[in-house]
Amino acid sequence: MTRQALDLTINGESHQLAVEPHWSLLHVLRRELGMTGTKENCLEAECGVCTVLLDGKAVNACILLAEQCRGRSIVTIEGLGDPEHLHPLQSAFIEHGAVQCGYCIPAMILTAKSFLDERRGHVPSEAEVREALSGTLCRCTGYQKIVEAVIAAARQLNSWPEEARRAS
Amino acid sequence: MSSYERRVAGKRLPRIDGIGKVTGKHVYAADFALPGMLFGKILRSSEAHARIRRLDVARALALPGVRTVLGAGDIPQIRFGTAIKDRTMFAQGEVRFRGEAIAAVAATSLEVAEAAVRAIEVEYEPLPAVFDPEEALLPGAPLVHAGWSDYQALPVFDREGNISGRSAIGDGDLEAGFAQSYRIYEHRFTTQHVHPGYTEPRAAVASWDGNGDVIVWSNTQLPFDMKNMLAEVLDLPASKVRVIVPGIGGGFGGKLRVGVEHYAAWLARKSRRPVKLITTSEEELTDAYPRQPTIVTLKTGVTRDGRLLARQGRVILDCGAFANSGPATAAIALQVLAGPYRTPHLAFEGIAVYTNKGATGSFRAPAGPMANFAVESQIDLIADDLGIDPLEFRLRNVYREGDKGPAGETLASVSIEECLRRAADSIGWSERKPLGKKGHSRGKGIACSWWLTTGGSSGVYVRINPDGTVTLVSGAVELGSGAITGAAQILAEELGVELAQINATDVDTHVSPYDYGAQGSRTAFSVGNACIAAARDLKRQIGALLAGQWNVPADSIRLEAGSVVSGEKRMSLADVAALSQRSGGGLISHGTAIQPMPVFDPNRVRHHPLPAWTSHSFHAHAVELSVDQVTGEVSIDRYVVAQDVGYAINPTYIEGQIEGGVAQGIGQTLSEEIVYDGGRVLNANLTDYKMPTMMDMPRVECILIEKPSVNGPYGAKGVGEPPCIQPPAAIANAVAAATGVRVQSLPITAEKIALRLAGKAGKDG
Ligand code: FES
Ligand code: FES
Repeated sequence: MTRQALDLTINGESHQLAVEPHWSLLHVLRRELGMTGTKENCLEAECGVCTVLLDGKAVNACILLAEQCRGRSIVTIEGLGDPEHLHPLQSAFIEHGAVQCGYCIPAMILTAKSFLDERRGHVPSEAEVREALSGTLCRCTGYQKIVEAVIAAARQLNSWPEEARRAS
Repeated sequence: MSSYERRVAGKRLPRIDGIGKVTGKHVYAADFALPGMLFGKILRSSEAHARIRRLDVARALALPGVRTVLGAGDIPQIRFGTAIKDRTMFAQGEVRFRGEAIAAVAATSLEVAEAAVRAIEVEYEPLPAVFDPEEALLPGAPLVHAGWSDYQALPVFDREGNISGRSAIGDGDLEAGFAQSYRIYEHRFTTQHVHPGYTEPRAAVASWDGNGDVIVWSNTQLPFDMKNMLAEVLDLPASKVRVIVPGIGGGFGGKLRVGVEHYAAWLARKSRRPVKLITTSEEELTDAYPRQPTIVTLKTGVTRDGRLLARQGRVILDCGAFANSGPATAAIALQVLAGPYRTPHLAFEGIAVYTNKGATGSFRAPAGPMANFAVESQIDLIADDLGIDPLEFRLRNVYREGDKGPAGETLASVSIEECLRRAADSIGWSERKPLGKKGHSRGKGIACSWWLTTGGSSGVYVRINPDGTVTLVSGAVELGSGAITGAAQILAEELGVELAQINATDVDTHVSPYDYGAQGSRTAFSVGNACIAAARDLKRQIGALLAGQWNVPADSIRLEAGSVVSGEKRMSLADVAALSQRSGGGLISHGTAIQPMPVFDPNRVRHHPLPAWTSHSFHAHAVELSVDQVTGEVSIDRYVVAQDVGYAINPTYIEGQIEGGVAQGIGQTLSEEIVYDGGRVLNANLTDYKMPTMMDMPRVECILIEKPSVNGPYGAKGVGEPPCIQPPAAIANAVAAATGVRVQSLPITAEKIALRLAGKAGKDG
């Protein structure tokens, strides 16, 4: 097996890597870079816990080859907010009791972010949130408080000025 | 209700471990890694029951990157198990289910380990197998464990051949009861294998240190039990085993017992390197601890006016190739069959049976949904036949305060009537025949139950730090439920501090005090009680420290708002902690708690490990749904839960438990099943094992009832398990009300309903 040079842009930082051609983005994040905020479970695009943003769109990192991410922008949960400055979605998840074991939560938050980013200025209905986030399994919460958190975060984000939103 | 207003307990405060979880910084066992770590992989049997004729690992060992290959011959033959020591780490000459471990490999990468497992050669000689638990009970059935009688087992269980345990509960005179009955009903119900479905796979990293101790980072729910188990399998004194639980991505009873830890520890021992193992979805669905399938038969005699007179029942529980918690689960099923109904004459029997299928375990409310599905479906069948409203029928029969429970124990804090009435009112029970939209029929269903708050002891260490924060060291794992946040709220309440000032540590068996573990709806309850004890002790310490200095009586000293106060005197808690450190080692205490066992009548129970329930809770679920008359598809329009929680320590996370538990219950009811064809699992992946998604889940409406328990902190009762008990029965009853189709086997798939609507399937469909 031969490793190839690959530059990846993750959370705005560039990483010079040597990867094997069959490695998934998930493998590179978790095993090579130790970025374990992106979770692993089924490895076959069913559970959704490995979700990251690729050029702003939510994708399953377990079935995406690292090579396919060349020249594109990757955002993981580590790139969203930090403990001192949480993203509104992160605060809303905590405030609404949407977090239990938390293993699905990075994926839920990132999926919600891409969904809300695509519909700026719109507060989604419960049905819309359920449809948009249905690709990620959560076994703890029954989803209800996650839905509430996403709607609350949408409200808050809509009250932000445009520049602040873009920077989030 | 509380006699005074509490500041922290009872409030909807955010959990104390939330920020790490939303930022991706919380480290789970699956995330844990050590430098130079190897990856382990298990070779599993492709036969359900066979002799191993030949095992050849030479080709695997020769692969570059392979460091160790282990089989049965490389380690001591040690049998382990909770009720019965019937399992070994690797099959010893004979495999008993398809998926049983035969060998394990440690290699420099997962890919190499997988290739090595494929390179191991095994030759089998098939043996007669048995897959159906009723067949396994027949004389002459193949024995899953020919040597069963030599196994060590807990003496309480009655075992024989394929029966891994048999228990009974009874009272009154059954024959007389049936003889006096106006009508007698007999029904049979079946339930399926379902997986706990935690999103984080089971994972462990093991490493041996310079003292010859093994450290295992695992996502186990029971670190102390795990430590003892590992000591047994590794043939070490327990003090040489250290289990650390970094973070755990859900458990639901599926992470109680050893799964990957012993393989990691043995591979690390032999390879002298840290080793990590993590399960795949295929492994989870073939060799984990799913809920046991059951066959429940009930015979019930009633009076003309709808009172239960005599009930006889039998639960056959398929525990698979190893007993694990099966015998205890079959026993607990009997209390679920009995309650929450008064019955003068009853006799229930639970039988756990070995078959050549994967082992099973204690998924949330073990026995609850299976037994409740049978009882509560039958109650509706009887009520309909007698022309009595099902709610009214239940209200005529439920337990009242001071009644005797199944083992003759006296029942206190009984709230089942209130639960039923509140759930029924909320769903609009009085208008039972709503009109469906075209092509759909609508119906409402109700079901109720009771459950225990498991006992076992808890210890906590609590330290007040000189910066005013408080460290809570508990031996109980935070599974995600928020139980440790709940216990911390109680601690904060008692110490007069804010919740945000409390830090809870991870569990480390070398450091943390003992706890019976995060299981059985007991964590917030029991750790909460231990926190109260620790806080009382700290108050005593503070009193002793300041009484002399301030020249006041020790009992005049109070804790409030982060300060210690007596009359005009006041000192911040931080300063008191600093003073104590300078003068006497600091403010630290060890609080402990255990529930007293209720008094019961031993003549009513046989071979039962848990004859009387402690701090029981009551609950009722009501559902309104519509069924597509062509496809049979069920859509749930409303789902209401009225649950007696005793005292709501944090209503937000209690609702979270209810919403999540109902989701699991709806999964078991409508879509989830590990499908076996003989000994082979047909759907060992998450595409075909269908858990509810966000689109499948209705909004769950929670009604929290607070009838205080005697023993819980501030009157709390166990909360976590009950919500998944009633969904099967409540939904089955609503489907029957909507369509006239009574499905007596789980899951209630659209296909089963559609076939019955088209008149094409048998009665039990
Ligand atoms: S791990 Fe990627 S979808 Fe499950
Ligand atoms: S919070 Fe546990 S899986 Fe979602």
